[in-house]
Amino acid sequence: MRRFFCNFVFLLLSASPQFAGAWSLEEAAKPYSGTEVSMIFLDRPGYNAIIKLLPDFEKRTGIKIKYQIVPYENTREKEELDFSSNGELTVALVDLVWIGEFAEAGWIVPFEEIKKKYPDIIDPNFDINDFIPLILNAFGTWQGKVYGPPFDNYSGLLYYNKDMLKEAGFDKPPETWDELINTYAPKLTKNSKYAFALQSRRGETQSCDSFMRFLWPWGGSLLDAKFHSNLGNPKSQEGLNFRQSLEKYMPPGIVDYDHSDAVNALAQGNVAMITEWSAFYSTLVDPKSSKIVDKLGVAPEPKGPDGRKPALGGFSLAVASQANDKQKAAAWLFIQWATGKEIGKQYVEAGGISGRQSTYKDPALLAKYPFIQPMLDSWQQGVPEYRPRFSEWSKLTDIIAEWGTKMMLNQVSVKQGSDEIGTRTEAVLKDAGYYDGKKPLAQ
Amino acid sequence: MAAIRISKRRFGIAHFVGLLLVLVFCVFPFYWMVSSSLKDPGLILTQKPTLTFQPTLENYQDAFQRNVGGSLGISLFVALTTTALSLLLGTPAAYALARFDFRGKKDIWFWFITNRMVSPIVLALPFFLLASNFHLIGNPIVLVFIYLTFNVPIVVWICSDQFRGIPKELDEAATLEGYNSFSIFWRVALPLGAPGIAVSAIFCFIFSWNELLYALILMRRETQTAPVVATSFMSGYQVPWGQIMATGTLVALPVIIFSLIVSRQMVRGLTMGAIK
Amino acid sequence: MTEQRHRANISTDPVKPSRKPKLRPIRAVPRKTYSSGVIFFLAPAVIVLLAVGIFPLLFAVWNSMHEFILSRARIYALHGQPFLWFQNYLGLVNDAGFRESLFRTFVFLLINLPIQLVLGLLIALLLHKVGHEWLKNICRVSLVIPLATTLAVVGLMGRLMFNSSFGVVNYAVATVISLFHSIGPLLQGHFQVLHGFWRHVVPSNMIDWLGNPNLAFATVSIMDCWQWTPFCALVLLSSLTLVPPEIEEAAKLETDRWWQVLWRVQLPFMLPGITAILILRTADILKMFDVVYTMTQGGPGNATDLISVYVQRVGFRQVDQGVASAQAIVLLIITIILSRIYIRYFYREI
Repeated sequence: MRRFFCNFVFLLLSASPQFAGAWSLEEAAKPYSGTEVSMIFLDRPGYNAIIKLLPDFEKRTGIKIKYQIVPYENTREKEELDFSSNGELTVALVDLVWIGEFAEAGWIVPFEEIKKKYPDIIDPNFDINDFIPLILNAFGTWQGKVYGPPFDNYSGLLYYNKDMLKEAGFDKPPETWDELINTYAPKLTKNSKYAFALQSRRGETQSCDSFMRFLWPWGGSLLDAKFHSNLGNPKSQEGLNFRQSLEKYMPPGIVDYDHSDAVNALAQGNVAMITEWSAFYSTLVDPKSSKIVDKLGVAPEPKGPDGRKPALGGFSLAVASQANDKQKAAAWLFIQWATGKEIGKQYVEAGGISGRQSTYKDPALLAKYPFIQPMLDSWQQGVPEYRPRFSEWSKLTDIIAEWGTKMMLNQVSVKQGSDEIGTRTEAVLKDAGYYDGKKPLAQ
Repeated sequence: MAAIRISKRRFGIAHFVGLLLVLVFCVFPFYWMVSSSLKDPGLILTQKPTLTFQPTLENYQDAFQRNVGGSLGISLFVALTTTALSLLLGTPAAYALARFDFRGKKDIWFWFITNRMVSPIVLALPFFLLASNFHLIGNPIVLVFIYLTFNVPIVVWICSDQFRGIPKELDEAATLEGYNSFSIFWRVALPLGAPGIAVSAIFCFIFSWNELLYALILMRRETQTAPVVATSFMSGYQVPWGQIMATGTLVALPVIIFSLIVSRQMVRGLTMGAIK
Repeated sequence: MTEQRHRANISTDPVKPSRKPKLRPIRAVPRKTYSSGVIFFLAPAVIVLLAVGIFPLLFAVWNSMHEFILSRARIYALHGQPFLWFQNYLGLVNDAGFRESLFRTFVFLLINLPIQLVLGLLIALLLHKVGHEWLKNICRVSLVIPLATTLAVVGLMGRLMFNSSFGVVNYAVATVISLFHSIGPLLQGHFQVLHGFWRHVVPSNMIDWLGNPNLAFATVSIMDCWQWTPFCALVLLSSLTLVPPEIEEAAKLETDRWWQVLWRVQLPFMLPGITAILILRTADILKMFDVVYTMTQGGPGNATDLISVYVQRVGFRQVDQGVASAQAIVLLIITIILSRIYIRYFYREI
């Protein structure tokens, strides 16, 4: 359906008299030269990469890009404050778990609206179908509407220390979680070295990285089809109990480990395997921060009984509704350029992760960055609702973070903790109106 | 006689050791921060913290690349201005509360204090709305005024104590010589109240310098204050320890320098008190 | 030595402390100069604080009585914000998380405030005592260092130093233990007992400061004490300068015991300073957020989830500014009540 529509638009554009010759960024941007577009960036490789390429965009279009670097923990609050009080942001950085909230609050503009209002700025080469379907769906789409393309894209990957594995007698990484805990872990945990480290700090780290990771591969999930808690399901319980039994192969104090701690544990050679975000590849191969540069192995996450369901995370860029007309167009031009085919390869070389299939068709690129193939494989199999993306997620993530850490500390049993999370989650969803039809069951 | 002299000397040693302990207590974590900032980034994460190492300035170079330099200037402007304003507004008020007696005095004094009690978390949105109404978002002046709400109470508090300690005979003597109350304030109270004024100035500077929430919400990239820039890359995601420690040191240095300058006033005030 | 005053024409209203009464003295001529001065001294500060501070406070109160979830801003623009009376406040009673967090914060307060006060007092006394001038000067300046460090950096410093694998604190502990082992044979029997006791308390050399709930609480306390004891010390030091030197000298001649001099002579002058510290630190601990956030995010589990961390979560992660405002107003009321209590029992005008 989308393909048909895209083709239709393309035909329309090509039939229109304005389409005399190729579309060019400079031409399209002429009426918006001098407009200021402002947005928030994180201090991560993907953003640093686009910052490097910005001068080229500014020169070609005359559009000024103003960005602020804010820690992830403060980004949502700054954006929300800005959007709810007619602030100045014109581009929204949308974490996949915020898209439900932002879309429902009316803070971001759907792609279709942009296309209708500003047909001239749409690059016919934009080809929205070139984006990897899973991530376009998960990061930039809500209830069937596309709001923006995926920009900063992650997948969970298994990083491992080849040498430590070889010493213990393994020449390849574990295929399944069962293998990991029964065969690999006991042999790798000795002499103050541990087999695995799972980042579990209270916060989004706990709910996404630690908790969810041990539900999906076992066939469990947070919610069932009717949005009631599915944690009591034996499959969910199996996964969570697995996590508990994995704890003895992890360093003490694991409940306080955040991303940097887990990555560091691997990088310093204290731990044999971690499942972390793809973006950490650059840290792990940087001799300044890593001692295992030449021993690093990358593979997709292990499979559970229900298959491979790796962690999914990422950000999309969308146009903010509070922007004026000129700013909206300029914002879209920027978004289009930043996620466009043209700079895909440059973006990856500068340290970013493109979301386009065409970028990764280059075998030289795949060979240069060994993490890309496992990442692409992971994106073939992930679940878009790995974490529910509706606006109530902000409340749910806190509930899960609190009780998930309590479970890991053995302050409550897995069953008790799951029941607590279940009751509270259902209370939140009931308040929101999911059970009596006031809100559609979208996640 | 000899016993007293021995005990006095022991006391002298105890005093010395005590002061030394205080020094170590205050300085050690700071020393650790500075030394980490001079270490090679990979070295910080090793199992054995090393006390001897090859110092390197690359963390500082990285820090300056993040525009820490410009933000130091903005922070300096905001902190100095708000401290000066707080002293300007606060010292007369402190004097009034110390010297004059009027009904409602206790209540006014208490009201000053309550200004400092409300959590910035819930005042952030109102301030944001107020500032954007006046088109002041990104203008450091707005921070200067917001910080007054917690700086003036500090000044009033500490200085009113100080002024109360000045004997009233001096005031009466000055009055008899024909000075009006403002001159008394200017010539008698301020110089004698120097230790308190100095301490409150240091506190005002420190609290304004280190304030994070309002600066994060109300400033734009070009006008970010130093702590905001320093924390912009402090996320659980990646913790570049070397750079963080370097920015932490850079951010703390101006405050220490300011206190050095101002604490000489404190000492002067103390000796003046003795000659009183 | 109180001035006598004659109240004619009072326009004060005890409920609204911001009104300034006019003074009409009946003393002899020299006193007249004090009369009108009051307003000019007080007015600038009061006006500025009112102008800047009153609107946000009223707005927060208004928020607390309405529903205000940021993501519904558009709905509010069209239909207005639902008026909730005191529903937000009543909801707090049922909110177990809020109660637990408040309790935890009070435990934190009860543990840390006395420590900071007492240590601050000792430091102030050390700095006040005559002798070792150069060392005293260095000390006085170094007191500023902990305060000067940005709160977020303090939190991260804590993470670095207390890290169980590469933190310097555990390194120091390990060094002490190995020293202990080397002198162990000299102690023989005692050594076994002590060693057994030590191993019972600390199972391994890698003390898990940040992952163990109780130790995490202790670590946050330590960083808070490190940062604020100098504050107490500086305030108490400037209070100590208020003690008239003659009285101090006389007292020192009378008794050799420093604690008697402290109790009888110096403390009464320091009471205003102590009250100030009590009130400020109470208010600050109830607002304490940055350090905990960067060190532990409130975890592990709930161990360091102090009340303002909780409020921030509600106000900015669940973006429910209405409930968060109600919580902050409740905290404000608690602080005011506590402050009144402090003033009643500790404050004495000198």
